[in-house]
Amino acid sequence: MEILDKLINVALIAATLRTTAPILLVALGGSFTTKAGIFNIGLEGQMLVGAFFAVLGSIGTGSAFAGVACGVAAALVFALVFAILVVSFKANEVVVGLALNILAGGMTISLMKAIFGTRGSIVGHGIVGLPKVQLPGARDLLGSWAPLISGFTPLVYVAFIAVPLLVLCYNRTRLGLYIRVVGEKPEAAEALGISITRVRYTASLLCGLLAGLAGAHLSLGYITMFTENMSSGRGFMAVAILIFSNGDPLKVLAGCLLFGFADAFSLRLQTFGYPSYLVLTVPYVVALIALFALSYRARPRVIAETLESMRKLLSVDKSAEPGGKNPQ
Amino acid sequence: MLSNTPGSPTLHSTAAMAVELTGITKRFGAFVANDGIDLAVRRGEIHAIIGENGAGKTTLMNILFGLLQPDEGSIRLNGEEIVIADPSVAIKAGLGMVHQHFKLVPSLSVADNVFLGMEIRRHGLIDHAAQVARTRELSKRFGLQVDPTERVGLLSVGIEQRIEILKVLVRGARTIILDEPTAVLTPQESRELFQTLRSFVAEGMTVIFISHHLEEVMDVSDTVTVLRNGRKVATRPTAELSKDELVRMMVGREVSFDRRPRASLHGDVVLEVKDLWARDDRLLPALRDASFTVRSGEVVGIAGVAGNGQTELAEVLSGLRPASHGVAWLKGQNLTALSPATIREAGLAHVPGDRMVRGVDRNASISANILMGRQHRAPWSRGGVLNWSAIGKNAETLIKDFDIRARGSGDAVKRLSGGNIQKVVLAREFTNGADFLLIDQPTRGVDIGAQEAIHDEIMRQRAAGRAILLISVQLDELAALADRILVMFNGRIMGEVAGDDADEERIGMMMAGVAAPEFATETAR
Repeated sequence: MEILDKLINVALIAATLRTTAPILLVALGGSFTTKAGIFNIGLEGQMLVGAFFAVLGSIGTGSAFAGVACGVAAALVFALVFAILVVSFKANEVVVGLALNILAGGMTISLMKAIFGTRGSIVGHGIVGLPKVQLPGARDLLGSWAPLISGFTPLVYVAFIAVPLLVLCYNRTRLGLYIRVVGEKPEAAEALGISITRVRYTASLLCGLLAGLAGAHLSLGYITMFTENMSSGRGFMAVAILIFSNGDPLKVLAGCLLFGFADAFSLRLQTFGYPSYLVLTVPYVVALIALFALSYRARPRVIAETLESMRKLLSVDKSAEPGGKNPQ
Repeated sequence: MLSNTPGSPTLHSTAAMAVELTGITKRFGAFVANDGIDLAVRRGEIHAIIGENGAGKTTLMNILFGLLQPDEGSIRLNGEEIVIADPSVAIKAGLGMVHQHFKLVPSLSVADNVFLGMEIRRHGLIDHAAQVARTRELSKRFGLQVDPTERVGLLSVGIEQRIEILKVLVRGARTIILDEPTAVLTPQESRELFQTLRSFVAEGMTVIFISHHLEEVMDVSDTVTVLRNGRKVATRPTAELSKDELVRMMVGREVSFDRRPRASLHGDVVLEVKDLWARDDRLLPALRDASFTVRSGEVVGIAGVAGNGQTELAEVLSGLRPASHGVAWLKGQNLTALSPATIREAGLAHVPGDRMVRGVDRNASISANILMGRQHRAPWSRGGVLNWSAIGKNAETLIKDFDIRARGSGDAVKRLSGGNIQKVVLAREFTNGADFLLIDQPTRGVDIGAQEAIHDEIMRQRAAGRAILLISVQLDELAALADRILVMFNGRIMGEVAGDDADEERIGMMMAGVAAPEFATETAR
């Protein structure tokens, strides 16, 4: 099992955490809108403009953190437009989300062409990437396991720290509670004088904030460059995870880790010379299997009840015909 | 937080009247919902507001609570004139309203729901423990039994109402308005509610409740105000009133609530249901092991609190929902295997529980609605072409026969009142020659005058030898019409009561699932 040893080791787990971070950030952002009752399919676009403007800001100011701020600001603008259209003007959230995604894709390409005169990708130009954070004492404490907690870029830490913060937010803060109420029972919120509009705007902007961070992590985290359609479906994967987790931070984390692991694993497989097209499908195959497993969970209950009623039928009256109408 | 309401009435004025409405008028377009209504509610009394549907009760209370603004008139609370611009003003002034439809958040705990919008916080975080303790204290004080830590989604409607009341109390209400509070409760739950209301009054609070149930108004209120067609008929001490007088004031004429006279004419079995099971939309068993028969010339009533399997039973019998298993023979034909159309051909007439969804096409004319389901038959159509003159003539006749108040057969159904829409459904269903009538909530949202007419029609159908299954949540309706009453709880038929000795107490126990203790443990879903 040498191959397995080579495949699964500390480096793989560290890589998993790294690949999980962007999708976790964007999915946690989406958690706010999901909980507030908005189906936000525009995560992908917010992430993409975040990535692009982070690079732009980094080049302009020469500071990675100013770059992150630019990325976040751009994503917030997108989130605000989304909120204005969906919350205030009650436009269809899927249509608006898709439109903004398409806008994000087209806009980044046009701006790339206008500013850098190239298509495809921006590399160099003095992009400053985010520094890696070496936690002092990590090596003493964990020895060879140190890469699990040390040496990541700051946004990886932000992503994982955000999970318990969101749990706390939903359970113990007024804002979190109101977000849940607005999503679950808007009539109740209205009756109690909670402004649905204000809560949904807040949730949308919080979502934009985290999606912008996710984008900045993509372009300034481990690779310092921007490429066309850089988010490559992570926003949509986040939407899928949100649907199945119902926006619960811990379930979101689990879903993202699964996807991140599959992602890291496929990268790892590539270095072993497996055909890359096949290997690149791994995360999506994993996602499909997970979704199937989740939807399968509801079935045993139905089966148990069928058994209950069948028993009844067999024991009471043999002459009564079952009617042949079992819904299964 | 209980005592911090600025306008706390007991601190300020000494006026005897908790609420005084003067000359309240509210128009919706040309329709006058409230016409110059005066209402005075003494502090410390239970004041019932009674009237038929559409009499203006809810409108008046919505005005008092600031949900609507009156076109004319003024409001005084504890002697002080006040403009109630929105509910927050009303709440500050010590008013609280328990609406007919509860507004609770299922995934939150009872205490979280009670304190929603006014959370107790410590260091910026919500203090769940303090909220639970406060809720427990209040629920003890007023006998409103709830477990503050339980999730609301798992609780019954009766308990949800208690939570709504707690919500109002925790906001410091001294005058509590309840809109048809007993509509969703079992008789036992209603009695508990009334005890709670009395305990409020004992503490010097004031209760206003809207109702159209005569019995409970007679039982529980100190004063009654009767509204009719948007006007006040009278305000009288309950003790001075008899039930008959009250009804006369409500409708402006005599109405009997007594059991309809009948001759016994039970004939052959028309419907036989055996071991019938069905699932609800979440695939959980909703109808469990139902067995009963309906004979021709017999009205079999199904009693139960809404949502205990009656809907599923009706849907299975009409072919709208598959049975998990079991059989239902309609004149010897097993209808669980048939489509709705075939079942109707086989002799079913169905008056659905929700007439606007399954009873009528609200945008179509009366003629078209009466035609539905027989459009392919002569004389209504020939060679695939509809014969509108025959259809219209038939509709005109039925409009007369069933006393449908409309301008003509071309009127869109949505222009009619609830009672008249129901009569359109009856006119269609009762004239297609079916032997078995499945009648679900025939008088829901129908005024008393129309109720009488509908009951008369059902009794005529019975006399004509039809087999009738009458599903209703109103016990008095079942007691008046049914020969036998089956009581459903949690999908099961708990027992049977003969119509002649229908006894609210016994039926109520069964409706609450008490009659058969071996099933009581299954109530939690």
